[in-house]
Amino acid sequence: MISLIFRRTLLCVLSVLCGGIGLAADAGQALFATACAACHGTTGEGGRGPNIADGRLVRRLTDDEMFRSIQKGVPGTEMAAFPFPDDQIRQLVAYIRSLSAPAFETSVPGDPEAGAALFYGKAGCTECHAIAGRGGLLGPDLSNIGLQRPVRRLREALLDPSARLTDGFRPVTVTTTDRRRISGVARNYTNYSLQLLDAQGRLHLLRQTEWLAVELGRDSPMPADYARRLTGAEIDNLIAFLSRQAAARRN
Amino acid sequence: MRPLLTLLVALPLAAQVRYEDIAAGPGKNWLTYFGDYGGRRHSPLSQITPENIQYLAPKWTYHIDGSRKLEATPLVLDGVMYMTASNEVHALDARTGRRIWLYRDEQAKALKVNRGVALLGDRVFFVTGDAYLVALDRRTGGLLWSKPFADPKLGYGATLAPLALRDRVIVGVSGGDGGVRGYLDAYSAATGERLWRFYTVPGKGEPGSESWSDFPVEWAGGATWMTGTYDPDLNLLYWATGNPWPDLWGKPRRGENLYTCSVVALHPDTGKLEWHFQFTPHDTHDWDAQSIPVLVDLEYQGRPRKLLLHPNRNGFFYLLDRTNGQYLRATPFVDKLDWAKGIDDQGRPILVPGKEPTPAGTRACPSLRGASNWMSPSYNPATGLFYVPSLEQCDLYVTSEKIPAAGKGIMGGGGEPLSREPGQFFLRALDPKTGKRVWEVPMTGPGTMWSGTVSTAGSLVFYGDDDGQLVAVDARHGRQLWHYYMGQMLTASPMTFQVDGKQYVTIAAATDVFTFGLVEGR
Repeated sequence: MISLIFRRTLLCVLSVLCGGIGLAADAGQALFATACAACHGTTGEGGRGPNIADGRLVRRLTDDEMFRSIQKGVPGTEMAAFPFPDDQIRQLVAYIRSLSAPAFETSVPGDPEAGAALFYGKAGCTECHAIAGRGGLLGPDLSNIGLQRPVRRLREALLDPSARLTDGFRPVTVTTTDRRRISGVARNYTNYSLQLLDAQGRLHLLRQTEWLAVELGRDSPMPADYARRLTGAEIDNLIAFLSRQAAARRN
Repeated sequence: MRPLLTLLVALPLAAQVRYEDIAAGPGKNWLTYFGDYGGRRHSPLSQITPENIQYLAPKWTYHIDGSRKLEATPLVLDGVMYMTASNEVHALDARTGRRIWLYRDEQAKALKVNRGVALLGDRVFFVTGDAYLVALDRRTGGLLWSKPFADPKLGYGATLAPLALRDRVIVGVSGGDGGVRGYLDAYSAATGERLWRFYTVPGKGEPGSESWSDFPVEWAGGATWMTGTYDPDLNLLYWATGNPWPDLWGKPRRGENLYTCSVVALHPDTGKLEWHFQFTPHDTHDWDAQSIPVLVDLEYQGRPRKLLLHPNRNGFFYLLDRTNGQYLRATPFVDKLDWAKGIDDQGRPILVPGKEPTPAGTRACPSLRGASNWMSPSYNPATGLFYVPSLEQCDLYVTSEKIPAAGKGIMGGGGEPLSREPGQFFLRALDPKTGKRVWEVPMTGPGTMWSGTVSTAGSLVFYGDDDGQLVAVDARHGRQLWHYYMGQMLTASPMTFQVDGKQYVTIAAATDVFTFGLVEGR
């Protein structure tokens, strides 16, 4: 692990751009607030315009493509042209990139090995979450989470789990027409059908005609008190461990 | 790291997919790409019949965002459907079409078509466009492992549905149109460890290498891009191989070019070659042998035989003894066939001169797409008929007369449709005992579909046609009974399954999965 940290540091030292990108992103933040936030939200997570903080949309664009989208707008959409000076557009691109940069590609404080001990130990994460098949089924699989979330979202999920519920993980209890009560998470729910996964890994695929009542929870079943149960250093360690989970990465 | 196993939740096992369940063939479930290991695609379900099919109606449609050409046959286990698109697996409630989970590999470096998953134990296996074999937990879509099995930088990719048997998963590679050396791999279903690799083009000095002059083996082709079939009793795997490369420029690769355009029979325990049969020696028309090697037991010439049926892209319908690869018979299953006068006693084509591609173009039949291709045929044991989507078409075959840059998907020429001779698809019912056509249904359409068939014990054959319709005909005589227009090109084969005592039929169209069932009360 030391060698990994060393390698990252070395990469940064070797790369003249390293500090430059950070500075550009910082400068871009101010410009983003004035030029972009009205449509894309103050954190880039969308509003009138699409979410540009959560990866997919933005990751598919090269820097040049993003540059052109800002400078010339996107025909056929409400995205207008913002003909700022080139260096300012580059700052915006750097900032938008930093919003969606997955945790795996971000330098994070904390000790991943200590984080692993917490994850599999006293933090109790494996009661609900699995990594590489080891752990529970009712929370999102975390085998690849370092490539799927930026650091700020990992932190938010740990400290404020109900801030946003991941699709397909709302707690649910259903009473069936034959008076059974089944609890788990609603992998999908509509007026007409419910796909419920229980803690034993059994799927219950129900249609409206097969239930009497469906009670959907509002809050994440994840404990909301990690900020109290864990120290700041421990949370950093856990985030460092999660940011390393990248089983689908390419060499 | 200190493993704290005590904290792991003890899970009672949900129903596992056992090898024996797959070997038993389809019933209410459809557990492997072809429904069974033999590639027959015949379901024993018989609720939908010629008498009630007028009440067959759409039940749900599932749209796959961003898809353009879905090619997968979904699998169904206990009411859950597993469908793939490029670098994605979707688990659906098979009664309602609602998604249970989605696994998307955003790291994958190639967008390619995908033909589906394999199931074994509690795992779902699929391949990414950049040739990773991925194992998922079938309950949650959680990632268990992801292992590269070919190098996209060399031109390899992957599109097939893996084949799971006993404790292993078999995968093959795409890329044979761009100069790669084909191979077939077996991986441990538990760990993803590679168990063996079989190269479809032998290395220097190995048996078969004498069929290649001095052509570089790493470009030679023989891709393995379609799922193979398996005989559990003989414990033999049957895999079709692709064209040699450059596809349309044969001069630098003098010889038969083994084992391209062939079917190879391998031991799944070791990957050792038991026998091979080459349909098109020294192919120059891109006639991959990727039609399905369908395994059927029949009385042939007075005695029971274990047969392999193969409606080849080159226009001949072959019958082999699958115990030893012995050639038994070949008959043309299309009329537009002019490159060979017939097949001799040894199974080799009797060539017609002047059918080789030239820089100016040579008219030859069948077309480059082939008389049939990877679209699935099916075999109904009750009618004894073999249902084959067949394309009547000739092409103008053009060669570049040079070896293109390898690994870039360049074929060294191509086949161009002839403007005054548009292709036409037929569903043909062939009799494997005689090789003759028993009946046919002509299709309308542009000649561009990739859809296959499923046969049912309800005496029906469902097939996707060349005009975007799912069609049902009577398995006995081909009478047209039912059709539904999906408004999209069809590039996948239908399948059938049962949930809660009700039979359904599913087909993937270009961008959506459609599922049909009988109207309530019928």
